[in-house]
Amino acid sequence: MSAELQSKDILAKAEALRNSLSSGFRDEIVKSLYTEAEHIAKRAVKTAAEKRYDLDQKIDRLVTSPWTGLPIMLLLLTVIIWLTVSGANVVSGWIAVVLFGIGDYGRALFNQIGMPWWITGFIWDGVYLGLAWVVSVMLPPMMIFFPAFTFMEDLGYLPRVAFNLDWLFKKSGAHGKQSLTMAMGFGCNAAGVIATRVIDSPRERLIAILTNNFVPCNGRFPTLIMLATVFVAAAFPPALTSFIAAGTVVGVVLIGVFFTFLASWILSKTLLKGEASAFTLELPPYRRPNVSRILYTSIIDRTIFVLWRAMQTAAPAGAIIWIMANVSIGDSNLARATADWLNPFGLLLGLDGVILLAYIIAIPANEIVVPTMMMVYMGAGMMINGPTSNNEIFDLLVNGNGWTMLTAVNLMLFALLHNPCATTIMTIYKETKSYKWATLSVVMTLGTAFVVTFLTASFARLMGWA
Amino acid sequence: MNFTYWSVVIAVLIIATFLPRVGLIAVYKTYRTAKDREQVEDALKHLLDREQQGRHASPVSIAGTLDIPLGKATQLIENMETQELLETRGNELHLTSKGERWALHVIRAHRLWERFLADEARMPLEQVHNEAQRREHSLTELELNDLDAALGHPTRDPHGDPIPTREGTLPKVEGMPITAWQTDRPVRIVHLEDEPALAYEQILAAGLRLGQVIRILEKTQNRYLLSDGETEYKLAPAVAANVHVAALPESEMLKREAIPLVELAHDQRGEIVMLDDAVQGFTRRRFLDLGLTPGTVIYPELQNFFGDPRAYRIRGTLIALRKDQAAQIWVKSI
Repeated sequence: MSAELQSKDILAKAEALRNSLSSGFRDEIVKSLYTEAEHIAKRAVKTAAEKRYDLDQKIDRLVTSPWTGLPIMLLLLTVIIWLTVSGANVVSGWIAVVLFGIGDYGRALFNQIGMPWWITGFIWDGVYLGLAWVVSVMLPPMMIFFPAFTFMEDLGYLPRVAFNLDWLFKKSGAHGKQSLTMAMGFGCNAAGVIATRVIDSPRERLIAILTNNFVPCNGRFPTLIMLATVFVAAAFPPALTSFIAAGTVVGVVLIGVFFTFLASWILSKTLLKGEASAFTLELPPYRRPNVSRILYTSIIDRTIFVLWRAMQTAAPAGAIIWIMANVSIGDSNLARATADWLNPFGLLLGLDGVILLAYIIAIPANEIVVPTMMMVYMGAGMMINGPTSNNEIFDLLVNGNGWTMLTAVNLMLFALLHNPCATTIMTIYKETKSYKWATLSVVMTLGTAFVVTFLTASFARLMGWA
Repeated sequence: MNFTYWSVVIAVLIIATFLPRVGLIAVYKTYRTAKDREQVEDALKHLLDREQQGRHASPVSIAGTLDIPLGKATQLIENMETQELLETRGNELHLTSKGERWALHVIRAHRLWERFLADEARMPLEQVHNEAQRREHSLTELELNDLDAALGHPTRDPHGDPIPTREGTLPKVEGMPITAWQTDRPVRIVHLEDEPALAYEQILAAGLRLGQVIRILEKTQNRYLLSDGETEYKLAPAVAANVHVAALPESEMLKREAIPLVELAHDQRGEIVMLDDAVQGFTRRRFLDLGLTPGTVIYPELQNFFGDPRAYRIRGTLIALRKDQAAQIWVKSI
């Protein structure tokens, strides 16, 4: 009883004392902590004269000046993406040979012991093929992109990019560090969403999370490159093909960047209203990158983490794709029938039913959109690569399935703007701990994709181009 | 067949109506209770406000403030009387001590919400009041104490109004309307009255803000001409009466010799004098974490090619700050 009374008295006393504190006492506490720390540091640490930052300053002037800063930035981004895309192609081929070889072997084994065809098909042509496809297409670009990105990060260059671009983000109500999470998004949007943890104010962080998907990730680059090569570049002399194709892809990326800013601006004026909060960005001194740390962060923290999440969704998707291709309805199959049913809506958007179907069942990973499309177009029973030469692809799509230039352009736009893949949606949920934001990320992007493709299709038809 | 169909429909309807907690009736009741509480609390605030001004509330004034018909207001007053929240003496309404305690609770909720919305959620200042108006009715005493502790026991809301303490005492505002200030010595804005909203918006639109130090340059019957040394502000006397000021404290004199960090030239070194009082909550904590404490040497080192942000060398590290933030850090050139 008396102890109870005493603690009450103490609390009351504390309350009274707190009211008599000056409002600046927190500042005083921090100041005294810093003074003490300075005191200790002065005794323990010997520093050379203050000229230590000379080299850093020279580099900083170079990478933040208007004439050299922006070109350096664009050059580095181009080099990294080029390295990723071209290098990944080679490695993907190797992995595909090994993994698909295992698949062939497994299928042969199952046939030998007399398994029913549908068990063999479901397991090896469905679940396993889905997994193998995602691993072989997803792993190599990430193994190249993430170490390159982490290298720039470790070097200390990335904060300078945020510093250079901050004015753009400030105008759209976002944080300069969003440029870094966007760059990460080129590697993988799920990784980009995780990378938003570097933004310490909640409002700006949500903006970065919700708009990250407007940056096309590795998984979407092959689709964009294929379309740019087969449709856009084909109209130019062969010597210019790769140049025009690259230019088209860059153009698409810029459209994505434009939509990122537009969406950030709209969000910061509506749902995420608020003033820009503390923008404090540390520009660390340049350091020699630490190779083992780069490998650890990029391979374990990023690549394996993302790949594992993707595999969890790819296996069931592979199963569903196989079932849809192998359940027959009359003389057609379930996939074809669904695509026909979706066709009117697809045409309205300047696409077709098969494309929409591919995007619906390939929601776990954008990498399997094209194989799924090819499967339906060619009436195959499992995901396939499609024809090897550009002319054959052109022939299959245009003469065989009624594609036009509009279809190609709108598919590029749709690939750029559509909803995040299942892995990214899952990551958004885990990062925000809210179904609301995860749902919004889907509704917002899918809505944009529908509206934009519908408008381009209507415009093209009105002008008589398609 | 038809009979079964209709009985199923009716059964579903009955369940949807009477289900506890999620049924229509239950939802409506919860809504009604919340609305009733809101009305009672708004009436209490009005009564307290009148009492602080030394006037008395009447059924008519309650009806006017809450925007309800007089009959409803009378009924509300009767309800509140049975709950012992107020007493009627003739046409005058008086708060009981229970009513006053409750009223202070609501005011505390309102002002703590304003603090939270302005400092932590970084909502624009002109929207803070309306948002807090919607949220002030939903918190219990305990939740409010938690919010208070999380915000670090603030004593003022973003408009400079005192926040009632946990025990239910309301510190007095020491300021007076600028219209009552006689000399031309500089004064500090300690409070911007946020009601009526129209006048408040005009004050914000003119660019005046809390904590600003100003001088009266000229006062006539039609207008007040104020200056902070750089910009001149013109206000109608009726609007100016909503700007409350107090004599400058000693520490403010420091600031008058300092310049904002953003004005420090590229080849100048500065020493931090203080962080502006307008920086609170999240931003202030962030600044302090970075070591932006009084007495620290700071100088600009790197300029973005669009002029914003600028990077400053402080305690051996390079920190980039945006213009609007650097404007809130006061330094003296050394």
